[in-house]
Amino acid sequence: MSDATLATPTGASALEHGEVLVRDAVPAALISMRDIWKTYQMGSEEVHALHGVSFDVQKGEYVAIIGPSGSGKSTLMNLIGCLDTPSKGEYWINGKNVSEMDDDELARIRNKEVGFVFQTFNLLARATALHNVELPLIYAGMSSTERHEKAKQSLAAVELTDRMMHKPNELSGGQRQRVAIARALVNHPSILLADEPTGALDTHTSYEIMNLFEKLHSEGNTIIVVTHEPDIAARAYRVISIRDGMIEKDERLR
Amino acid sequence: MPKAEELHRKELTIADADAIRREAASLAGVSPIHRLISATLRYEDKQTDTPVLIGATPYYEFVHSQYVDHGRWISDGDMEARSNICIPGVDVAHALFPYEDPLDKDIKINGNTYRVVGLMEPLGNFFGQSRDNTVFIPITTYDKYYPDLPSPESAFFIIARPISRAYVKSAMDEVTEILRRQRRVRPGDTDNFAVTSQDSLLDIYNQLTGATALVLTAVSFVALMIGGIGVMNIMLVSVTERTREIGIRKAVGATRGNILSQFLVEAVCLTAIGGVAGLIVGEVASLLVNKYSPLPAFVPLWAIAIGLGISAAVGIIFGLWPAWKAARLDPIEALRYE
Ligand SMILES: Nc1ncnc2c1ncn2[C@@H]1O[C@H](COP(=O)(O)OP(=O)(O)O)[C@@H](O)[C@H]1O
Ligand SMILES: [Mg+2]
Repeated sequence: MSDATLATPTGASALEHGEVLVRDAVPAALISMRDIWKTYQMGSEEVHALHGVSFDVQKGEYVAIIGPSGSGKSTLMNLIGCLDTPSKGEYWINGKNVSEMDDDELARIRNKEVGFVFQTFNLLARATALHNVELPLIYAGMSSTERHEKAKQSLAAVELTDRMMHKPNELSGGQRQRVAIARALVNHPSILLADEPTGALDTHTSYEIMNLFEKLHSEGNTIIVVTHEPDIAARAYRVISIRDGMIEKDERLR
Repeated sequence: MPKAEELHRKELTIADADAIRREAASLAGVSPIHRLISATLRYEDKQTDTPVLIGATPYYEFVHSQYVDHGRWISDGDMEARSNICIPGVDVAHALFPYEDPLDKDIKINGNTYRVVGLMEPLGNFFGQSRDNTVFIPITTYDKYYPDLPSPESAFFIIARPISRAYVKSAMDEVTEILRRQRRVRPGDTDNFAVTSQDSLLDIYNQLTGATALVLTAVSFVALMIGGIGVMNIMLVSVTERTREIGIRKAVGATRGNILSQFLVEAVCLTAIGGVAGLIVGEVASLLVNKYSPLPAFVPLWAIAIGLGISAAVGIIFGLWPAWKAARLDPIEALRYE
C-alpha cells in the first residue's frame, strides 16, 4: 500500500483525482465510503437501497444519520459495520480496504474495529451480562482472566457492575442496552455504531442512553448513531440526512 | 440331528485303543475312557447324584494333564483286578466329606462299594460348568458293572496325546488309518468313526464367536447410522433455532471456523454422552452375563477406546453438515431471523 500522506482527506477532492489515484491512495479518514451502492433483487425488480453514497468520518466525530423509514439508514450502518457487503463501491476503515476482504478478515474487522449497538439489543438470552460482554474477547483469542477483567471494566463504565451476573430477561430495557454498549466497547473499537439504539426504549431511558453516548464521545470515541428522532440527532456534532438511498444533506451543528 | 450312520455305528472298543497305542508313532499316550452321564454317590448320610462317572486307565493322568492331588491314581494292578477303588474330584469330595479326609473311606457308587484311594486336583470351570464334579474308577471295573449300557447314557472315547503340537496332523492321519483297519472299513468307504482335535474344537468355537461378532458389528453399524442421522436432525434443528445467536456471534467477530467448531463440539458432546451411556450399559450387561450365564464376558480397554472414538467420530461426521450450514450463515440475515 502507498504512503498515507498521499491520501485525500475529504470526499469531494478525492473524486477529482480520478479513479486510479483514489484506488491507490489510502484515505486518512477513519471511515471513507466512495460511491457505495446496495441493490436488492426483488423478483424481476431491482431495489436500490443505496444509490452511490460517498462520505468520510474522521476520528473522534459524533455523527447522527437521520431519514425517514425505508430510506436506507440500516443498510448503510450494516455496511459500515461490515455485517453486509456493498454491491458496488469502495469502503475504507482505518486505512484498510474492506471491499477486498474475505470472510475471515471481515470477521476480524467486526471484532476489533467496530462496536455495533442494535435497536433490539441482540444479547445472548441464556448468557449473563458478563458473558455477553466477554463474547467479542473470546473471538479475539484473549485468555479468560484477562477477558473477565476487561469485561468487568466495560460493565463498570456503563454502571452495571451490580448486574453482572444477571441474564438479559432479568434486566430492564435500558440496562440491556447498556450491556450491549459495554459489549460494543469492550474490545476498544475504532468506531461505535448504533442503529436506533433508543428505538425500543421510553423517553427517560432514551435520555440516559444518549447521555452515556455523550460521555463516551467526550472520552474520545468515534460514534455514528442512526435515529429518526430529531431531538436525539440534535445532540450529535454532525447530521447526515438520507432520503431514498442518497445523502440529501450533510451538516455540521457545532 | 445325527445321521443314521452315526446312530448305528459300531462302538469303539478297548481293543481299538490298544491298537492305536501300539501302532501310532506320532502319539505320546492313549487314554480310552468310559463315561456315565451321572451316578449316585453316597457316604453315610450324604448323597450326591450329579457327578459324572469316568472309567479310566493308568494313562489318563498323562494324556489329559490332570493329576491326582494326593493319594494315588489307578494302577495296572487295579486294572487287572477290576478293583473297587475310586478317585473323586473336589466337588464330589466336598459334597460327601465336608469335614473329613476322604482318603481310605468307603463310598457307594450306584449301590456298589468303592474305596477312595486318591483325590483329583481341582480343575475349575469351563463355560460355566464345573470340571470337578467327577469320580474316576478303573475302566475294567466300569465294564464289570456297566457292560451293556447304551449310548448316550454311557459313552466310550479314546483320547490321544500327540508327541507335540506339530504332530497333531500326522497323529490324526495315523489314528484314522488304524481305526479303518481295526473296524474293517473298505477302501473308498467313508469312516464310521470321527477323529477330532482340540484345534478343530477351537476352530468351531472361533467360528461361532467370529460370526456373532460379525452380526453384532453389522447391527451396531446400522444403529450408528440411525443414531448419526438422529444427531444430524437434532443439530439442524438446533442451528435453525439458534440462527439469531449465530448472527450475534458473527456480529461481534466470530469467524466461520469459530461457529463450525462450536457446533461440531456440541455434536461430539452429544454423541460422546451417548458413547459413555453405551459403555455403562455394556459394562453392566457384561457383568450380568458373566454372573448369570455360562459364557465368559468382559469389556476390554481397547473396546472402550474404540467405542468412545467411534461415538465421537459419528458426532463429527454427522455434525459436519449442520455445523457448516451454521458457519456459512450471512450475519445480517441471521440477525434478522425471527
Ligand atoms: N434484505 C432486503 N431485501 C430486499 N430489500 C431490502 C432488504 N433490506 C432492506 N431492503 C430495502 O432497502 C430499503 C432500505 O431499508 P433500510 O436500510 O432498512 O431502511 P431504514 O433503516 O432507513 O428504515 C427499503 O426499501 C427496504 O425495503
Ligand atoms: Mg432501520
